[in-house]
Amino acid sequence: MTHSSSVVDGNQFAVHLSDVWKMFPGVVANAGVELCVRRGTIHALLGENGAGKSTLMNVLAGVYRPDRGQLKLHGQVHSFRNPADALSAGVGMVHQEFRLIPSFSVAENVVLGSAPSLIQPRQLEAEVAAMAKKFGLRVDPTQPLWQLSMGERQKVEILKVLWRDASVLILDEPTTVLTPSEVDELAEILRRMAQDGRSIIFISHKLHEVSGICSEATVLRQGKTVATSLDMAATDAAELARLMVGSSPVAPDRPEVATPGDPLLELTELRASGDRGIDAFSNITFQVNSGEIVGIAGVAGNGQRELADVIAGLRPSTQGSVTLNGADVTAARPQQRFRAGLAYIPEDRLGVGLAPRLSITDNAILRIYRQQRRGPFIVAEKALAYCKYLITRFGVRSGDPGGPIAALSGGNLQRLLVGRELDGQPSVVVAAQPTRGLDVQGVKAIQDLLLDQRKAGAAVLLISEDLDELLTLTDRLLVMEGGVIRGEFDPRTVSRHEVGMAMLADTNATTR
Amino acid sequence: MMRRPRLDLRDQPLAGGQPLAFGIGLAVALFVGTLLLLSAGHEPLKIYTRMFEASLGDPDAWAVTLNRAVPLGLAGLAVAVAGSMGLWNIGAEGQIMTGAIAASWVARIGGEWPGLILIIAMLIAALGGGGLLALGPAVAKAKLGVNEIITTLMLNEVAIRLAQWLIHGPWKDPDAYNFPLAPMLPEQAHLPTLFSRAHCGILIAAGVIVISSVAVKYTAWGYELRIAGSSEATARYSGISLPHKVLTVLVLSGGIAGLAGGVELTGTADRLTESLSNGFGFAGIIVAALALMRPSGVAVVAVLFGAVQIGGQSIQTLGVSSSVSTILQAFVLFGAIGAGVLSRYRILFEGDTHAVPEEVNK
Amino acid sequence: MNEASLIGLFVATVSFAALLYLAALGELLSEKAGVLNLGVEGMMAIGAVTAFIAGVELGNPWAALAIAMMSGAALASVHGFFTVALGAEQVVSGLSLTILGLGLAAYLGKDYVGQPHGTELVPVEWAGLSDIPWVGPIFFSQSPIVYIAILMGVAVSVVLTNTRIGLALRASGESASSTDSAGHSVLGLRLSAVAAGGALAGASGAYLTLSLTPQWAEGLTAGRGWIAVALVIFGAWKPGRVGWGAILFGGTLALKTRLQTFGVDFSPIILSMLPYVLTLLILLVISVRSRKRPSPAPAGLGFPYRREER
Repeated sequence: MTHSSSVVDGNQFAVHLSDVWKMFPGVVANAGVELCVRRGTIHALLGENGAGKSTLMNVLAGVYRPDRGQLKLHGQVHSFRNPADALSAGVGMVHQEFRLIPSFSVAENVVLGSAPSLIQPRQLEAEVAAMAKKFGLRVDPTQPLWQLSMGERQKVEILKVLWRDASVLILDEPTTVLTPSEVDELAEILRRMAQDGRSIIFISHKLHEVSGICSEATVLRQGKTVATSLDMAATDAAELARLMVGSSPVAPDRPEVATPGDPLLELTELRASGDRGIDAFSNITFQVNSGEIVGIAGVAGNGQRELADVIAGLRPSTQGSVTLNGADVTAARPQQRFRAGLAYIPEDRLGVGLAPRLSITDNAILRIYRQQRRGPFIVAEKALAYCKYLITRFGVRSGDPGGPIAALSGGNLQRLLVGRELDGQPSVVVAAQPTRGLDVQGVKAIQDLLLDQRKAGAAVLLISEDLDELLTLTDRLLVMEGGVIRGEFDPRTVSRHEVGMAMLADTNATTR
Repeated sequence: MMRRPRLDLRDQPLAGGQPLAFGIGLAVALFVGTLLLLSAGHEPLKIYTRMFEASLGDPDAWAVTLNRAVPLGLAGLAVAVAGSMGLWNIGAEGQIMTGAIAASWVARIGGEWPGLILIIAMLIAALGGGGLLALGPAVAKAKLGVNEIITTLMLNEVAIRLAQWLIHGPWKDPDAYNFPLAPMLPEQAHLPTLFSRAHCGILIAAGVIVISSVAVKYTAWGYELRIAGSSEATARYSGISLPHKVLTVLVLSGGIAGLAGGVELTGTADRLTESLSNGFGFAGIIVAALALMRPSGVAVVAVLFGAVQIGGQSIQTLGVSSSVSTILQAFVLFGAIGAGVLSRYRILFEGDTHAVPEEVNK
Repeated sequence: MNEASLIGLFVATVSFAALLYLAALGELLSEKAGVLNLGVEGMMAIGAVTAFIAGVELGNPWAALAIAMMSGAALASVHGFFTVALGAEQVVSGLSLTILGLGLAAYLGKDYVGQPHGTELVPVEWAGLSDIPWVGPIFFSQSPIVYIAILMGVAVSVVLTNTRIGLALRASGESASSTDSAGHSVLGLRLSAVAAGGALAGASGAYLTLSLTPQWAEGLTAGRGWIAVALVIFGAWKPGRVGWGAILFGGTLALKTRLQTFGVDFSPIILSMLPYVLTLLILLVISVRSRKRPSPAPAGLGFPYRREER
């Protein structure tokens, strides 16, 4: 019943996707994507956030069903109804958010879905340990998963796929949770698997990472394929970058050299714990002055998120102090900090900055409803008027202000959120990943707003994973790694390489 | 080839989905009910006519239905207020009991007080009694994050047994020939009637529902509640104190359920009985769910649901088992639950796909 | 207080424990798969009435038990359909199921109220063992359902820890998306767990009319379904611990009617609050401890799963 493809290119590709379309309410995630992966290679799938990489891979892994398109593995056409179909055809995926079960042991997590009918825990643990050893993955199969670090959890995910003897392995942004040494370890593991005859698809939006690991690359942009099967050795980084972002985006004019004024945000010896109870960062001391943008660069998960939360008052600090406009706010609540002049643009727009199930108006007045009361009531006309004002002033494209906030696109959500935060003339702005996942105009709009704030004399702290954004926008650049500041640079003179070294905590990086 | 169905999320919920859901629920119940009645040898049309006449046919019928809608509406409101913040108060059944117990206690000590003062004191005590039972789950949820579904559910059983114990023990009426009955309320402790047998509990319930709806929808307090119900992280972000909100909302919710017990005691029951809560607390959850957890929707649903209950009871005189009405209620519920879900989704069959636009510009 | 009445207390404790244990095991299965089913009371009532009717009409207690289990599973599948297949709110659907079950049971049983039972499950006599003083009557002269309950406890425990299907079932209650991407059908697992849970609740109800109170009356289940729900929490979702809890809670039920016989001046009503109060205390302990480690509750309990939502 299996029919070989008559197409000539049939058998040389481990994976061949053609004309894949996938739609979600209001979003076209994939619009006719092509992808060819050779057997026994590590193939990079590149693209910016929101380019449709994860959606495409979820289609390949059977999680989503494509609305249209063809999928061939080793020359044979497949149609997956669910992940089980994909797995039995040899496609395994390591998701960006791990699909692991905290209360299960490592061994239980590994064998879930392909366990023998009868399980003898001890024997199973021994088998998992043997497989881990074969590929150089160091984990203890008896340990409950919740005790493991993120790097260890990723190894469990990889073990899961190996346990099923998958011939095609998809890794979705695998390095975001890893330390530099863990990244090297991962690269080594992947090479071993490729030598073993397996084909690996490595999803990333970071160029420097994939160049050392992958031999070929496919680039997606806004749901479409812009290049397939590029030879990595023959393509330079600038070309790849151009492919990823399209006609090189108009970088905002480099701001004039700032003449910084008084320090408005001062952090002294700051330390706080992460969700797992261990230090997320420690000994953070720096200040942001009036009229400057200070950037924080770093690989995700190195304490930046927690730092932003501590400054905003959403997470308690365990040591040190936060000073806003000269006033110590270390113990102040979020709303008091807002009144003291702090605007906070959180990393999670819908869910933290905006309340998903409420209307646009309800979300617009989040910061000012306390001032719009008459007795216990919120005056509806004033709220609506304020919402319309924000929509107009910040160019939010929206329908009915009474409609659900979730109906807005990503860029318009962010315009509303940033507008709401910046409207009250804040003296200090903390922006975490403010342009992530936005389209070109959206990025430009948000960056311009931040520059306007700088011009108006605010102190802006910009936390971003986008090094180009940091290098063009900021006046000073700090690099965070492992919860501490690894270096401070002048973005006008520093090279990407130097910053990259500091992000990876290379010892040559120096603090000035 | 068999095409397998699957559910697909709609871009927007179907407009008017909820009234439609309730209507479909009723239609399903009518259909199943007709089958049940036919199988038992009854004439469905006659039965349905009787149900309608007994619940909504004339002022007397309306009076009985409205009296039933009072505890249903208040209990539903209690659940909906907590539900506006994403909390489940499954304990209305028990809170109705502690509310009634507290009101009875006031009636015991205030037997000589003038009617108006006594009734007001009883209702305030009922509020407190219900709120007190919700206080434990509220503190546990606010301080320790203990799931309120289970704690409130467990306390139902405790509260009902507390009432039993009082009736069998300390509060047993010495004049009741050793039957386990609490003494009758003093004469002046009964709520005045409005028309026919309808007591003015309906005014109290309507007032509380209006006040609560306005509070949730138009005040800063209610706004904060809705923010917290939509996203706890957003609430923290904007400086809303979640533990404080959880505490006040759950206690208030318990208080409203307690008030239902107080009104039921002074309006309908003559004395504290073991069965005073009569499933109103559980029915309240269903009323609130049918009203989509919106306090403003509770009133209409409560009257309709009350009519279904009263109509169901009335047909026992025609020889139809009371269980038929219970079954009908259950089918209204399941019909409405199913229709409610389907108004948010549509059914696609295997092979169906979203339409692929000709040209996508983004 | 004499020896006979003390033995009677222990015999009743074991009987009630088995009654609660069966229903609680069913709820445990359902909750382990991620579905809270508050319809236990309704499913027990259906089990009780169908077992009684089948007993009268067929005269065979084992057929009656089988029919009760099938009826329980069928009723539970209504909850399964609405919550698992349609993703409806589990609390609301479960409570509706209680109403439906109690209503259906009353309707089906209305002609059987007060009738003598047609058959019963005869207590098992274990050669020799049953004659041992104390131990014999308490453990070796019980209804077969008691031994079935113990077997079921062992079976559930073994299935959950030592089989592929059990691993998948627990996984679907912890994280549906992980289970799905591991290639298991969350829908299938959850529907089966809910139905199996209903079968066990049905068996528990059958025990009432086939052994304990061989008569049918409305309200026969008397709130024991809620104790079963409490028991699952009390036993921290572990079949073994739920078993010990069943003995404790069964003991309070057995003691309740015997306090006066023993001349203890304590209100049986206050005693009957004990299971709920203990469960509340256990909940507090769990939540204080779970600040350091994951709670024993299935992490996905109460959340519907649909794959393509985003």
